Amino acid sequence: MLELNNINKRFGGLKAVDDVSLYFTERKISALIGPNGAGKTTIFNIISGFIRPDGGTMLFRSKPLDGLPAWKVASTGIGRMFQDNRVFGKLTCLENVLLAKNGNPGESPLGPFFSSGKVRDFERRNAEEASKWLAFVGLGDKKYAPAENLSYGQQKLLSFARLMADGRELLLLDEPTAGVNPAMIGEILALIKKIVKEAGKTVVIIEHNMSVILEIADFVYFMDDGRVETFGAPKDVLADERVREAYTGL
Amino acid sequence: MNYVLHILVMIEIYLILGLSLNLLLGYGGLFSLAHAAFYGVGAYISALLMVNFGFNFFLALPVAVIGCMLLALLVALPSLRLKGDYFMLATLAFQTLVFTILYNWVPVTRGPYGVSGIPQPQLAGFKVAEVWQFAILGAVFAAAAVALFRKLYASPYGRVLKAIRDDELLAVSLGKNTTRFKVTAFMISGGVAALPGALFAAYVSYIDPTSFTLDESIFVVTLIVVGGAGNLKGPIIGAFIVLLIPECLRFLNIPDTVAPNVRQIIYGALIVMMMRLRPRGIMGDYGFD
Repeated sequence: MLELNNINKRFGGLKAVDDVSLYFTERKISALIGPNGAGKTTIFNIISGFIRPDGGTMLFRSKPLDGLPAWKVASTGIGRMFQDNRVFGKLTCLENVLLAKNGNPGESPLGPFFSSGKVRDFERRNAEEASKWLAFVGLGDKKYAPAENLSYGQQKLLSFARLMADGRELLLLDEPTAGVNPAMIGEILALIKKIVKEAGKTVVIIEHNMSVILEIADFVYFMDDGRVETFGAPKDVLADERVREAYTGL
Repeated sequence: MNYVLHILVMIEIYLILGLSLNLLLGYGGLFSLAHAAFYGVGAYISALLMVNFGFNFFLALPVAVIGCMLLALLVALPSLRLKGDYFMLATLAFQTLVFTILYNWVPVTRGPYGVSGIPQPQLAGFKVAEVWQFAILGAVFAAAAVALFRKLYASPYGRVLKAIRDDELLAVSLGKNTTRFKVTAFMISGGVAALPGALFAAYVSYIDPTSFTLDESIFVVTLIVVGGAGNLKGPIIGAFIVLLIPECLRFLNIPDTVAPNVRQIIYGALIVMMMRLRPRGIMGDYGFD
């Protein structure tokens, strides 16, 4: 579904991503693991168009992503969840999810004046769909609550609803369980599995919690110093000496 | 009576300025210090078209609005690449630039001598000449501005602007071309500011650059800080309060030579007080904290 070939990125003297090639399979959960500074988030930034690579190519559904600005990458069907919790705090949960849908004629400043009928229809359908996704993640009763009033874990769930709303096919999740209370981690993992199994999405996840990786990942890439050191099935990768050393120091 | 009506006309003028700046400040989170520049350019375009080319006010008005929108586009393209304080500094530079041009481009703007003899608005043989007639015209303009912004604020377009204000990076990650939204908001805001500019020029029949200084831009920001940003009510309440408070000085027998300075002190104190005690203003949805 998404392939990265020989991607390179330097920040000054630091080689953040060094000749990395990755292949993500449709309807699977792939994981990027590795110590801090390994280049995992930089890879996400490159895929989602926030950072331009110095070299290499990217193909999403056989179409090149290279050089596309971030907002255009998002409209190709790639969704991104950030490491830090990001919500539109002053807006309601429903508005947060409504925003995820693109192609709204009312988002042109002239739309509300000259295509009010179309805007109304779009908004009605969008609201129905957004409500469905809020219920899907378990926030159906929080529709009209300002996002800033949700708990940290609930804000993560809201991010999932937002990601699902515009039919995005590939979801990049940067540490979705970080900072979430242990009781809610299970809920989030169940949701990720549901997203893949029931909604048919493809997920790439960055995660430091190895039990999470063992539980949900189908395939794992281990990165260190900007390079892919090893990859394969979760059990095999986690048994690798380099991985054990990076995570336990042994 | 004329005194009360005059205050009403001025409230209408600043109410429209406040509403238009609110689209940038309260919705887009863009702190602009250049609003008086658009107000001034709108006033000058309409005044010069009427005085030099015999345009009717109602023909000069749309030209002024379009002129200000194009000017806003020119300013927005480079300055919207900047963020936060740097964007504010860019608008400050633009405000200074416009004032300098109005003051020094004597062959066109007549510089410090100003433009005099600006004709009064005329429509179908009816002349707007008396203060009460300007108050009605101003009310029509203000009502049109309220209707325009009410529709925009409640629209998906307004929702995206609020999203950009809350978290631009997140809005981009959802597929929003945030530059396009900010540029259009800047153009709408600049274009609408031309409306009170033209009204002011026709009302006082004489304009010079000193009516469109940085102080004026800060004054418009003040009425939003006091009234509140991010909704319709804030700038309306702000316009009434900020314009009416200094009028109270008239009843305190403060000498005319001192009154303008006292007024500035009141505005300064109001900003500091609101920032400290109520960063959202009286009726605002969005705080400056």
